[in-house]
Amino acid sequence: MIPESHFLILSAVLFAIGVFGALTRRNAIGILMSIELILNAANINLVCFSHHLSTAQGSPEGLGQILALFVIAIAAAAAVVGLVLVLAIYRNAKTVFVDRINLMKW
Amino acid sequence: MSGLIHLLNSIGVPSSVLSEASFYVLAVLVCVFAFLVVTSRNVFHSAVYLALALIGVAGIYLYLNAEFLAVVQVLIYVGAVVTLFIFAIMLTARIHDQAIRQTNEQVLVSAVVTLALLYLLINIVENLPSRTGGPGTKTLAIGRLGELLMKDYALPFEVISLVLLAALVGAIVIGKEKRG
Amino acid sequence: MVRVAHYIPLCPLAAAVVNIVIGSRIKKASSLVSVFASVVAFVLSVLTFIGFRNGLMSYAVADWIAIGGLSVRLGVTIDALTCLMLLVVTIVGTLIQIYSIGYMHDDKRFSRFFAYMSLFMGSMLGLLLADNFVVLMIFWEGVGVCSYLLISFWFEKPSAARAGLKAFVTTRIGDTGMLLGMLLLLFAAKTLYFSDLAELSQDPSINQNLLVVAAFLIFCGAVGKSAQFPLHVWLPDAMEGPTPVSALIHAATMVAAGVYLVARSYALFIAHQPSLIWVAYIGSITALMAATIAVVNNDIKRILAYSTISQLGLMMVGLGVGGFTAGTFHLMTHAFFKALLFLCAGSVIHAVHTQDIREMGGLLSKLKITGATFIVGSLAIAGVPPLAGFWSKDELLAEIWKNGHPVLFVLATVTSFLTAFYMFRLIFLVLFGKTRSELHPHESPAVMTVPLSILAFCSIFGGFLGSPLMHNWFQGLVHFGETHAVHAEGPNYAVMGISVLVGLGGIGLAYLLYMTKYSTVPGRLCTRFAAIHRLLVNKYYFDELYDVVFVRTVFRLSSWLSRFDLGVVDGAVNAVAWITMFGSYLKAWFDLHVVDGAVNLVAAIVGFCSAGLRRLQTGLVQAYLLIAFVGLIIIILVRLKGG
Repeated sequence: MIPESHFLILSAVLFAIGVFGALTRRNAIGILMSIELILNAANINLVCFSHHLSTAQGSPEGLGQILALFVIAIAAAAAVVGLVLVLAIYRNAKTVFVDRINLMKW
Repeated sequence: MSGLIHLLNSIGVPSSVLSEASFYVLAVLVCVFAFLVVTSRNVFHSAVYLALALIGVAGIYLYLNAEFLAVVQVLIYVGAVVTLFIFAIMLTARIHDQAIRQTNEQVLVSAVVTLALLYLLINIVENLPSRTGGPGTKTLAIGRLGELLMKDYALPFEVISLVLLAALVGAIVIGKEKRG
Repeated sequence: MVRVAHYIPLCPLAAAVVNIVIGSRIKKASSLVSVFASVVAFVLSVLTFIGFRNGLMSYAVADWIAIGGLSVRLGVTIDALTCLMLLVVTIVGTLIQIYSIGYMHDDKRFSRFFAYMSLFMGSMLGLLLADNFVVLMIFWEGVGVCSYLLISFWFEKPSAARAGLKAFVTTRIGDTGMLLGMLLLLFAAKTLYFSDLAELSQDPSINQNLLVVAAFLIFCGAVGKSAQFPLHVWLPDAMEGPTPVSALIHAATMVAAGVYLVARSYALFIAHQPSLIWVAYIGSITALMAATIAVVNNDIKRILAYSTISQLGLMMVGLGVGGFTAGTFHLMTHAFFKALLFLCAGSVIHAVHTQDIREMGGLLSKLKITGATFIVGSLAIAGVPPLAGFWSKDELLAEIWKNGHPVLFVLATVTSFLTAFYMFRLIFLVLFGKTRSELHPHESPAVMTVPLSILAFCSIFGGFLGSPLMHNWFQGLVHFGETHAVHAEGPNYAVMGISVLVGLGGIGLAYLLYMTKYSTVPGRLCTRFAAIHRLLVNKYYFDELYDVVFVRTVFRLSSWLSRFDLGVVDGAVNAVAWITMFGSYLKAWFDLHVVDGAVNLVAAIVGFCSAGLRRLQTGLVQAYLLIAFVGLIIIILVRLKGG
């Protein structure tokens, strides 16, 4: 059997990659994609724990999967709103590169 | 596929080893695709890599006895969200964007921070406190899932649908072209 | 017997106050106030004299100072000298003030003049009545101040202002000596009362040497006030003042105060012969010197001024040889005829508007009363019998001879000869001969000529009081010790003859040189003896000598001191100020650079920090996100380490 920690390590790696992308991508859509990766890493965590604790005393049945389901829904909603915002900004500033949209710069 | 498994069985590789090995391959593939997402120069390529990574994640779910979730992942994430991404890319792509670098100035610092974070997370993972219970083998049946959604977790379910509604309305409002 | 003596000085003093306060309001009436006060003083003097004859003695009026060893009681001296002097001063003073009503008629400070005159009268009378040195000194200074004020009455003329200052400063020198003498007397004898002076020489506990020195010093005051050699230089210059002032103060009364002082402290002098002889010699030097200068002078008032100096010298000689009575007798007769002479001179000046006798002549026909009284006064001073001057001068010469001073006798005789000569030189040049003045002179008004007549009367008949014809009434009254017994011998006819001869001889010589065909002789003598003539005309160069030796030195010293004050003292003050400024400059620098620098440093640090921190606001969300993740790492680390 695959030990629990390997799933968690995978999730950690995905999370790190996603963070790296969120911090370094210039394209706004790139950042949103990185965020999707982060959310997926969280999902893997949830499902892993759900699976590995299913026989524990008093653990709710299938809660992890249901939560993961919710996360997917929310992630979709977030992606929708984010992309719409990117489009609106693109219309105004004619660019999707976030380092060009710095009206709050000193 | 079963033939391959039989073949491998015949040479003495048990099925479990095969499945374990394929897990690691899949995991590596996911990581690779994810890495390509964040480092690709072409944002369109990034979207494609994202799709592939998400499919890989769906495969991971299978290893965790979450078949329904794997299907939902592919359907919603890959099928709708990534499509949405591609739409957006298409709408905002410019010809000369390829020549421009896609990563900003804080790459190095971010790399350092990311690696540190990764190290710390793995540290945490390694040192989790032991607890009772272990992995089960039972898959959560869809019927049971539906029942849980409608009964025990009905409130979050409704709230989620409200959130989706809000996102929908907001998207329409913000995305509307200004007349005049 | 009424004690009214102490009111005598108060009347004129009150008049002075009235004239000062409301003088400008009452204008011409101020003269009446002054004259009235003088008349009242005269009446009180008569009453006092009568009282004296009836046995009135010196009495005390009030206590004044009582500090430690010094106790001064205000009192009055009542004796023959004081009473007679009071009468002389009040008579002469009243007549001169009446004369002044006419003389000062057009002056714009009319009432001020009379205020000063009354102030003077009050001070002089107070001086005569004082019974101790302190009170005497007070009134002494009082007459000095009035002299100064009146000499420089027409202060718009710079020469008048200078003359007043010269008089004051010169007499001040004498007064300093007098003050030192007074203090020495107080130190040695513990008393300042005139009445105590007689016993001092008998007291063995008192250092007599100190008393001798005190006498010399007190005489210094007399030298200054009576214009004796060497402090005589102020009196001729004092002629800048109005003629009534010259008459009253510088002929009849104030200058007599010096002689009076010696007479009053006679007990001190006579007990110490060196001081007395000194008085005599100073007097004789003065008398001869002044007479010689008067011979060649051409200013009518200055001739009379030098004459006054000369006559005062003779009075000092008289006192100095022991002739108390002779000296004081001449003092009183001289007051009458010298006042008369000055008032006549004033009348002449009033008529011809000049003081130079070379511009006068033949005035007798025009100014009958003035001329006649002028001749009377001149005869008196020349010592022609039976006028007053003859009796007093004869008394002086007799006294000098009797006390065995042949040299002084000769000097005094020569002086008398010169006196007669220069007086009649004056008379012949002014009243006789050709009229050299171009103006049309007219006689003075009655208010001026009546006093002249009265004084002429006194000059004619006043002397009889001391003559054998009245049984030496004066000598019997005014004496020191037992002197009057001497006159029982009878008059010294030889001396009398010499004095008459000398007087007539002087008149005769003057007549010869100025009225007859020998009138070119004076001119020829001047060119022949040019050096001597120059010496005399320049008054023996005393003024020049004093200027070089004293005045210039004082000016140099004061300019040096002024420079010192400006340079060193002011320099020190400026240095302190400069140091303060420098200190404040340092503080300003400190405040500006250090204090403000600290404040600015704080601001700069804040600015620097904020400039640095501002860079955090990149406006880039990813930067903020990076920092958030760094924070997350930190939190995880803390949690891991903390367990």
